[in-house]
Amino acid sequence: MMDCGQYRLAILAEPSNDDAELRLHLATCHECTRYTEQLRRFEGRLDRALRVEVNPRMMEHRVVTPLRAPRSRGARPWDPPHRRWLAAAASVLLGTAVAVSLWLAAPGRSLAADVVGHMAEEPYAWARTEVPVPEARLDKVLTESRLRLKASAGLVSYANSCSFRGHLVPHLVVQTDAGPVTVMVLTHETVRSAVRFNEHGYRGVIVPVHGHGSLAVLEQGPNMDIKAVEGVAARVQGALDWTA
Amino acid sequence: MTDPVGANKSRARFQALCQSLRPDLLRFAFWLARDRALAEDVVQETMIRAWKAQDSLLDEGAAKPWFLTIIRREYARSFERKRFVTVDVEELIAKEEPMLAAADEQELMELRSAMFKLPDEYREPLVMQVLMGYSTAEIAAELELSNAAVLTRLFRARKRLRAMCGEDTSLDPEE
Repeated sequence: MMDCGQYRLAILAEPSNDDAELRLHLATCHECTRYTEQLRRFEGRLDRALRVEVNPRMMEHRVVTPLRAPRSRGARPWDPPHRRWLAAAASVLLGTAVAVSLWLAAPGRSLAADVVGHMAEEPYAWARTEVPVPEARLDKVLTESRLRLKASAGLVSYANSCSFRGHLVPHLVVQTDAGPVTVMVLTHETVRSAVRFNEHGYRGVIVPVHGHGSLAVLEQGPNMDIKAVEGVAARVQGALDWTA
Repeated sequence: MTDPVGANKSRARFQALCQSLRPDLLRFAFWLARDRALAEDVVQETMIRAWKAQDSLLDEGAAKPWFLTIIRREYARSFERKRFVTVDVEELIAKEEPMLAAADEQELMELRSAMFKLPDEYREPLVMQVLMGYSTAEIAAELELSNAAVLTRLFRARKRLRAMCGEDTSLDPEE
């Protein structure tokens, strides 16, 4: 039979313990009943104390804004097999020709493709919000790349240090009236002149930053024209301060 | 071949799951770190990692412990990144006063301040039990301790907490 010391030791560690032996002791011990009631009142207060009010602004951060998934175009069932082969071969040839001509015409293109490709890894960043990223987080991300950002950049709602082409780079989202705009500070990637791109639903520009690589700025969807994106690029570039 | 509709549905479900768990995860991180800004940071990092690893969550019912494990790892990483100096609990309490304050309930504020003063090894299992609803066995698995060790920590945590809050501890047992 359990004694009072054993009972209280057990109930103090697990107040919700409903073990038969504990119940049996409780039924026969007035003092332990009083002790248990007092402990349960304390537990109620402890439970309320731990449920601190969560900052509602933090809850406004949407975790995910799903990207449109790419549409796959399967072969039409009525195509004869040889037509499908011909179509596939033609597609490969055409695709290769287009890729080569684009690469020759615009060497910055593959950098843009990598920037767009990176967007798929952090779709939750594209939230439209008025909630700024916690200041400590923004500072951390910028400091890791030896950067500072003036308030003139606008409201930054997202900041992350991302691995991009073997380097950690700041990935920021700046909120504008027309929606969120992503900025990647590519200190290790140089471009000779500004390169506009429009790929997989993303429109943007990569602008050279003298002595500090380049800046990729892009938006998603039809809300903003490319001139406005370039305006954001100029504004952010003016707000960035390279400390090294 | 990927199914875009299915993928979008799955993303939406994962998003809803994250949103529903977020308040408790923030609270857990807050009690772990005793620092609101760090807690928010840890939870944000956790969400990023969780999103990337969502395929490894096979059972939505197991989401809470899955997230909690990521939070604990992320919190540990924050120590690797930053060398923390010795913590002055009174300073921490003063800094987080707005979070610890409870409308019209001075005793909740006292209880929260007392929680800040509990050593990590007692505070963490207590929060897992009371806030997250973990069983002793689940806490033991997460903290890699024996059930007996967890029970001892929970017992000591409550005993200290009750004493700090001026509760009648005359009937509290000795170890």
